[in-house]
Amino acid sequence: MSDVTAPVAEAALRPGRWSFRLSVLLCAGGIVVLAVSVAVVLVSGVGVWGNNIPHVWGFDLIAYAWWIGIANAASLFAAILVLRRHGLRTAVNRFAEAAALAAILAAAFYPVLHLGRAWLFYWTLAYPNRMQLWPQFGSPLVWDFWGIMSHVIVTSLFWYIGLIPDLATMRDRAAGRGRMRLARTYGLLALGWRGSVAHWHRHQAAYRLVAALVLPLLLWAQTVVALEFATTLVPAWHQARLPLHVVVTGLPSGLGIVLALAAVLRVALSLERFVDDADMDLLARLVACAGLAAGLAYAHELLVGFLEEDETTRAALGARVLGQGAPAYWGAVLLSAALPQVLWLDGLRRRALVVVPVGILAAAGVWLDRWSIVVDGLLRDHLPTMSRGYSPSPAEWGLLGGTVALFALVLLLFGRLVPAVSMFETRHEESEAEAEEEER
Amino acid sequence: MSQPPPFGLMAEFTEADAMTAAVRAARDAGWTCLEAYSPYPVPEAAEALEVSAAPVGYIALAAAAVGAAFSAGAAWYVSVHLYPVNVGGRPPNAWPVFMPTTYLVAILWACAAALIGMLALNGLPRLNHPAFFAHGFNRASEDRFFLFLSAEDPLYAPDAAGRFLRGLSPLRVTEVRSA
Repeated sequence: MSDVTAPVAEAALRPGRWSFRLSVLLCAGGIVVLAVSVAVVLVSGVGVWGNNIPHVWGFDLIAYAWWIGIANAASLFAAILVLRRHGLRTAVNRFAEAAALAAILAAAFYPVLHLGRAWLFYWTLAYPNRMQLWPQFGSPLVWDFWGIMSHVIVTSLFWYIGLIPDLATMRDRAAGRGRMRLARTYGLLALGWRGSVAHWHRHQAAYRLVAALVLPLLLWAQTVVALEFATTLVPAWHQARLPLHVVVTGLPSGLGIVLALAAVLRVALSLERFVDDADMDLLARLVACAGLAAGLAYAHELLVGFLEEDETTRAALGARVLGQGAPAYWGAVLLSAALPQVLWLDGLRRRALVVVPVGILAAAGVWLDRWSIVVDGLLRDHLPTMSRGYSPSPAEWGLLGGTVALFALVLLLFGRLVPAVSMFETRHEESEAEAEEEER
Repeated sequence: MSQPPPFGLMAEFTEADAMTAAVRAARDAGWTCLEAYSPYPVPEAAEALEVSAAPVGYIALAAAAVGAAFSAGAAWYVSVHLYPVNVGGRPPNAWPVFMPTTYLVAILWACAAALIGMLALNGLPRLNHPAFFAHGFNRASEDRFFLFLSAEDPLYAPDAAGRFLRGLSPLRVTEVRSA
């Protein structure tokens, strides 16, 4: 039996094609935009953004909550597949985790830049200092800080630990071809993994334990983001259902991105055998289900908001749904809840040209929902300020576009440098399938 | 110049079942210093080697308890002693609001401890290991299975160990020597 996963390792070892180089070049252009946008904020201050009173959050928190939602859904998906030992995990787990990691990296820009003096970000940590200032542990902002820290650390550890045995395979393959410098790099990262049966046993136990712990961590981290809104007195935000809304409507974004990524990677890296048609089929159905769940969340919002809530909240929701905020609200419903339903049709679900745009548009729809909450939620805020409305400045658009480029670049490099599909899980699955066939 | 003594003997197998059977036979014959290698997890072989993964869970549990105590204690000390702020007459020791960070930090510590503890239990990271000197060992990370009998084992005698391993119908048996 020769190694079934050789093509996966080959995808990372062979020289890049022109399409890969072109994509990296495009992303590098986006990184320049990101660098300029960040520099402008650092030099001039957050005044270059469109934020004002009462729109203190604007684009910043929209993008932040959106990226976190993508990371959240992708990580949840990966962890559930591991726990269920689902066949789909071998195909998509690795890049679902990578997408989560890249999304968190993109998200991290926003809260730090929003501090205004980003270089003093460490003031948010609890440490003894000369000013005798300490964070207030009763504040959702402090909860969020710890939520994001835990999310970043746990997601990256989860991803890396799952990668160690595959890095050992890359080390041995690179050494076998005499590419010693590459082999040494992979070897250092593989931490001396030698595939001992005892090591595997503990590795699998730790991996599954962390997958089980990731679920409550992520649900709570996302809930904390929603509580930052819910603890204010703004009528559109001051709602107990907000955590549920943010978690559920976030699902189409993360799953949609994973679906689009799967469709692109399997063609670009010739991995059709590992991410097969049945995997794509299942993934597309899952995105349709996530859209359905998001649709229910929107219906719940309308029912509760218009039938149960008081007059003030009804007016706030009315402005979002029927008034000035209608385009963003219904755009979100259309793109993230209604559009994924086309994936129930067999003919459409199997076409890359359909699933890639549907996945990306579902993510865009979730962005519109975050706009609807953050910006249009303030249409009826009842605050004694002169509401000036909100329009994002070029620096904010640059930051959004720049972080999208960063996300794409991280994933491009991921696809080239490390095995995009979990090789040891694939081997394991193939050996089990062979054993079953022999029994028959 | 005399050769250094060998690290032990390595038997190579093409199937996981053959390797598992070899591990069982070696355990039955009384070998204690042995290690098996495979390109993917083989739980049956780990069972035969009597490896327990339970310590990973205990480490995670202990770390969660310490992390939770540390976080809750810090929140209490900061809010009650170091920097009490009167917000609408609420008590400084409002413990329910300390719980979100306590919960998050407990999970963070448990995850980090499970993963780092797993590496520590495995004796990783390490830069080299005698097994890597074995002939064709690079395929342990692809499609071959190995059983290593260490020269440190009290039963180890080159001829007897070689005979024993060849009796398990491996693909080949090689002596593991440095360089």
